[in-house]
Amino acid sequence: MHKQMKKILVLVLVMSQLVFIVGCTKEEETVEMDKVTFILDWLPNTNHTGIYSAIEKGYFSDVNIQVEVIQPSEGDANTLVATGQGEFGVSFQESLSMARTAENPIPIIAIAAIIQNNTSGFAGLTESNIKSPKDFEGKIYGSWGTEIETAFIKTMMEKENADVEKLEVIDIVSYDFLTSITNDVDFQWIYYGWDGIAAEEKGVDISFIKLQDIDERLNFYTPIIITSETLIEEDPDLVKRFLSAATKGYEYVAANPEEAVKDLLKHAPETDVDIATASQIYLADEFIADSKGWGYMEDSIWTTFSDWMFENGVIAKELDVEKAYTNEFLPKK
Amino acid sequence: MKRLTNIANKSYSLILIFLLIALWHISVSLHLVKDFVLPYPLDVVTTLYKIRGELFVHLRVTIQEAVYGLLFAIIFSIAFAFIMDQFSVVKKALFPIFLVSQTVPVILLAPLLSMWFGFGMFPKILVVILVCFFPIVVSLNEGLETVDRDEIDLMKSMGASYLQVFKLVKFPSAAISFFSGLKVAATYSFMGAVISEWMGGKEGLGIYYLRAKKSFDINRVFAVVLVIVLMSMLIYYLVAKLQQVTMPWNNKTTNNKT
Repeated sequence: MHKQMKKILVLVLVMSQLVFIVGCTKEEETVEMDKVTFILDWLPNTNHTGIYSAIEKGYFSDVNIQVEVIQPSEGDANTLVATGQGEFGVSFQESLSMARTAENPIPIIAIAAIIQNNTSGFAGLTESNIKSPKDFEGKIYGSWGTEIETAFIKTMMEKENADVEKLEVIDIVSYDFLTSITNDVDFQWIYYGWDGIAAEEKGVDISFIKLQDIDERLNFYTPIIITSETLIEEDPDLVKRFLSAATKGYEYVAANPEEAVKDLLKHAPETDVDIATASQIYLADEFIADSKGWGYMEDSIWTTFSDWMFENGVIAKELDVEKAYTNEFLPKK
Repeated sequence: MKRLTNIANKSYSLILIFLLIALWHISVSLHLVKDFVLPYPLDVVTTLYKIRGELFVHLRVTIQEAVYGLLFAIIFSIAFAFIMDQFSVVKKALFPIFLVSQTVPVILLAPLLSMWFGFGMFPKILVVILVCFFPIVVSLNEGLETVDRDEIDLMKSMGASYLQVFKLVKFPSAAISFFSGLKVAATYSFMGAVISEWMGGKEGLGIYYLRAKKSFDINRVFAVVLVIVLMSMLIYYLVAKLQQVTMPWNNKTTNNKT
């Protein structure tokens, strides 16, 4: 028995050595790159082009990073990044705030703002006559299923003394904004840069109410790039390198939108070329705007919006803003 | 003696369930799993109790969708099985279509249905019908095909009409198959209703689940899952009871095993 055990043990040890040898040789054949998974918030669109350009122009490989872009099922990027399924991902200031203040908080941190100002708002067909929040009364709102939307609507309607009870809310999964506002709902919450431009391109007349035009507290960062607290602890250098390449990517897009959009289309060829190009041109000014540099976030925006969220019951606890976001990994300006 | 065996048999399962729940609790407390991915089992139960009011409003809607869908599926499948049994041409034409209808994934179909029919209860009931119809019609069809020919010939020799033959011989014989198909369909019906609600809507367990997920409220998410499991079990139990009542000659308790 003893001798047999010894034989088996030796065999196992030899086998495991073989695995290591084979494994090691394989690694030496390729350049030592850090593999990074980047998880999107939704379908690939012109908000993400900076990343795609950074891949295509080699900015990531210059810093030894190999990026794989993943599209998750709706709204999961926060949890996936927190559990390490992806090193970085796309999220939103409100979403991250809710995640960090949840009963079982999700340990993610915002490291860059993709767009400097909130380009989102409520949009509907012009013929639905929704020119201001007062007109929300008696309409059907197609919701993405988050409580914050009703909070936005309530804040905006109260500003114009409108009755939020007179509004019907249906949760819809909308793959096509133009279809849903034609058929089932009167207005939805969209990014102007994508769905608004799409409507323009398709010749559909829509009315658009930007959130911060009604209440300036509603100018928050969306979308943003997030990472997990774990990664920041374990490999802050990777975070810095990732953002340095991403910054270059977004600076390129801001300067050359028509060229950059081709990088997006290469990775997402099913995207409508005309909409994407028009959208990229619209967004080109929004990536950096008048900020210190791409990605930089202001404390006032985080604090003001987080106060609004807390006052309106969107988050149950106050957000510790200091811990929620950081500019420290962006290239120094 | 039989009673004790029964209790002993059930307790094997209960003990295993208890052990699994204990394992679950330990994994979370030892941080083997992150608590925002898998909450404590006790938290799930207390959350369920806390939200029972608002949950019930949504539950009622989903139950309606599941029950109506199942009922219509039963009616349609009995009708179609009847027609297919009578006219083999119809069977040859329709059966492959029924088969294909099962291969269309419900999750892909749901957004299309919402485009065509909106976000009311109708498209959801439609989804449940689609999900439940096939298992019942297939089982019933097989049951009808394997009825004892001698019994049918006997009835015919006594001048029975087709309808009488169906009612008195075929259907009772096929009842076992019917119920086995019905049990499968019943288990799917509730989950089918929940998934159908993901296409969008105002109320329902599926809608509530999505909202909880988007608010990062993992306790609520699991509470909903628990309710879905319990409801599916309940429907299955009701169907099994129905089978027992309508087919007393078939009950296993008549076996003498001690």
